[in-house]
Amino acid sequence: MSTRVDPNFSKKLEAYGKADWNECYHCGNCSAICPLTEDGFLFPRKGIRAIQMGLKDQLAGYVDPWLCYYCGECTDTCPRDANPGEMMMTLRRWLTAVYDWTGLSGLLYRSFRAHMAFMIVLFLGVIASFLVFADFSIPATSEGLVEINAFAPSELIHEIDTILLLALMFFLVTNILNMFIKVIIMDKSVRVPIYLYFVKVWEAIFHFGTQWRFSKCEEKRWYWFLHWFLMSSYTLMFIFIIFFLDWFQTDVVHPWYHPQRLLGYYVTAGILISTVYFVWNRIKAGKTIFKFSHHSDYIFPVLLFLIAFTGILIHIFRISGMAQATYITYMLHLAVEVPMVTTFVAFSKWSHLAYRPMGLFFANLKKAALQKQYKTQLAPAT
Amino acid sequence: MEEKRIGVYVCWCGTNIAKMVDVEGVAEEIGKLPNVVVSKNYKYMCSDPGQELIIQDIKEYNLNRVVVSACSPRIHELTFRKALMHAGLNPYMFEMANIREQVSWVHEDREEATRKAKSLITGAVARVAYHEALDKRTVEINPASLVIGGGISGLTAALEIADSGKKVYLIEKEAQLGGHTANVELTFPHMIPARQVIGPKIKRAENHPNIEVLKQATIDEIFGYIGNFNADIKVNGSARKIEFGNIIVATGLKPFDPSSVDLHGYGKLPNVITSVEFEQMLKSGKIQTSDGNEPKNIAIIHCVGSRNNDYHEYCSRTCCMLGLKYSNQLRSALPDSNIYEIYADMRSFGKGCEELYADTARRGIMFLNFDQRKGIPQITKAHPGDSCEMLIEMKERLSNTQIEVPADMVILLVAMEAREDAKDIAHQVGVSKCGNDFFIERHPKLDPVATTTDGVYIVGSCQGPKDITDSVAQARAAAARVLGTITQGTVEVELTTAVVNEDLCCGCQTCVSVCPYTAISFDEEKSVSVVNEILCKGCGTCGSTCPTGAIRSRHFTDLQILSQIKGIMSTEMTEV
Repeated sequence: MSTRVDPNFSKKLEAYGKADWNECYHCGNCSAICPLTEDGFLFPRKGIRAIQMGLKDQLAGYVDPWLCYYCGECTDTCPRDANPGEMMMTLRRWLTAVYDWTGLSGLLYRSFRAHMAFMIVLFLGVIASFLVFADFSIPATSEGLVEINAFAPSELIHEIDTILLLALMFFLVTNILNMFIKVIIMDKSVRVPIYLYFVKVWEAIFHFGTQWRFSKCEEKRWYWFLHWFLMSSYTLMFIFIIFFLDWFQTDVVHPWYHPQRLLGYYVTAGILISTVYFVWNRIKAGKTIFKFSHHSDYIFPVLLFLIAFTGILIHIFRISGMAQATYITYMLHLAVEVPMVTTFVAFSKWSHLAYRPMGLFFANLKKAALQKQYKTQLAPAT
Repeated sequence: MEEKRIGVYVCWCGTNIAKMVDVEGVAEEIGKLPNVVVSKNYKYMCSDPGQELIIQDIKEYNLNRVVVSACSPRIHELTFRKALMHAGLNPYMFEMANIREQVSWVHEDREEATRKAKSLITGAVARVAYHEALDKRTVEINPASLVIGGGISGLTAALEIADSGKKVYLIEKEAQLGGHTANVELTFPHMIPARQVIGPKIKRAENHPNIEVLKQATIDEIFGYIGNFNADIKVNGSARKIEFGNIIVATGLKPFDPSSVDLHGYGKLPNVITSVEFEQMLKSGKIQTSDGNEPKNIAIIHCVGSRNNDYHEYCSRTCCMLGLKYSNQLRSALPDSNIYEIYADMRSFGKGCEELYADTARRGIMFLNFDQRKGIPQITKAHPGDSCEMLIEMKERLSNTQIEVPADMVILLVAMEAREDAKDIAHQVGVSKCGNDFFIERHPKLDPVATTTDGVYIVGSCQGPKDITDSVAQARAAAARVLGTITQGTVEVELTTAVVNEDLCCGCQTCVSVCPYTAISFDEEKSVSVVNEILCKGCGTCGSTCPTGAIRSRHFTDLQILSQIKGIMSTEMTEV
């Protein structure tokens, strides 16, 4: 069957990022220099070709962008300045929108204004709820303790937290299902035997925890470490807030060596240091990987920073017994947290956290299945 | 008979020959042959000291014949002949044995190669013993010139010669001057209007006091030789005779007819047009389909008739740039249209051309690549209700995907091919054609506008596909060559020609019919064949067909050739 070419696709894709795809004349240098590309998953050149020709369906099932960690080597050595690295980044954004069946993701990516409007509404909603339901007049206890769970209706917060969690998980899981359909089911060239799903899942979990593939990007170990630091910090934070809020947010002030406080410091430090580093570099736009920034590349770290920053302020105000300051900061903390989680977890940059290990999982499944199918010797993804 | 004193010189050619042939041993053995007075070997015989060695030896040993065994005579025969002349010997008392191309470069066994070299040199020594001194003949040059073809090449050449004050006859078959250039709108890569390129040339040529423009003119026959040609021509039906000393052939090209390419559907689908037809459309200022609509999807297909073993194997050199030019013009004229360049390989060589390619790529043109070895794009009518008129099916090479491209208009970039009358022209002026019917130059690198017939030059696309830039350069080069001979006033002609022994000639005229240079005529009175020594190239065809042995080729006499064979066979050869 022939695929109809679409000359307008590349123009539409420009809303998701920037790469000069028309500059590319397919020398293949980018694929040759990439430390991560391999037989069967040759990127980035193949992706540029599909964009130039507007092969949308082929691109929707394209798993390769999730295997790239954007070291920038391909862009640095591209003889035509076609920016293949940024092209892969753009495709990751576009794929996030493709997997999202609600269409919200595409809207947030395409329009900075829409994203901002969405967040402001949520921000104001949280503030309004606090003004209605919280009691800011409760002073600190006689021992100098500030009880957050007393000031705000903690029951209600936990309920909303659970509802938000379930809703976002629903969207994320259905999007991943959509990804699975596009990558594995629609690809008629490969049939994955069921047992492989169990064999290969461990590799995906290992890579999720360590991001070990990223460290294969030559001479970019520092990026890998920072990215891992940020990723582990907010993953931990996410797990605490979503699953262990009762344990994480208590009115009891533990001694400094208590695991709750130590983990809290780790998470805060990780987020503060890495978000400052990433935003600073994006503003400087010196290194290849920071040269072009989509609005989501700014909103995400800025929000993360604000969350961590207000988090540490709450902590300081609390142990200093400053009740009102603690309450207001806590309100702001949640007013930033809710829009961040709502817009990013299932619909924007945060979802990479899920799509990357899934992408690697699907790629390994395909490779193992093809290996079985053709009994050809392909290098394992490490 | 004078004593034969032969000097033999074996060249090392650096290590080229010396690594495979024992040059010192060979020189020593050859020195023992009868008549060989001196036999030496040297690193580079063609170098100044090498030539000086020969000149000194000729004087010192009183040599009267010389053999150099080195590279091909195509490369250095003239060099050594000149050295002989310097030493006061007739240049034809020389023979070359090729022990590089024929020995050291093609063999791997040093011992065998050495034996073969020795055998070739022995043959040369045996042959040179029978060489005869030959003279050259001087002929006068008629300062008028004939230029055949009034396109950009012919016009340029004619004007160049005429501007130097020499008479030019410019013959054009059509009623108008300008050739194919006159049918073009803009020229690539600078987008200069063709009208600005060709218009002033036409006007100037028509009013030039030294140019006689003969339109609607054809040539019946050309006689003569360099410096002294004459021709029977017909101008507007009336016969005329003109005389001239040099000929510049600028007969140009013919666009390939794509009707024979079934898959493209030219002639069946009304909106599949050739680049020639699209130029007309551009000149008229209206880009529209056969129904008069503005096309939304326009595809440009490259290499139609070129680089395809079913049609022409060669590249037509101009189509890639033409396609890029069209893309640019279409993008400017129809900003919202979808433009597709369907190409086999993008060849944008030359000044300003790669730049045009890069610029075009930035203007939202979709480039699609096909592999000609695996098939060419197929154009079919679109299904009813589809948004376009035609669909182009192809396997896209860079994505390895079977795709279909919507199209309302398809422009076929057709090949340049030799004209149908190239054969007649070739016979009239005495030039050879290659397999594709383009005329052959004397040397593809070192003598690109001259032909093997002295006084006949080829310029422009009659020699091979060419753009305006290259055609103009060739035309000026040929004009310079013509002016060079005119300025000299006379020209020396080689006499390694055929001669007829009138006593033996039976008047059968076989030689007249086989001569490729029309150099032999028949003397009715004496009933014998007569060789025109200036037209004769000494190819030997007549000599080998002559049933009575009346024709003898100078410098290739039976005695010379048989002695050479005898010499070669005298060496012991390995059984194969």
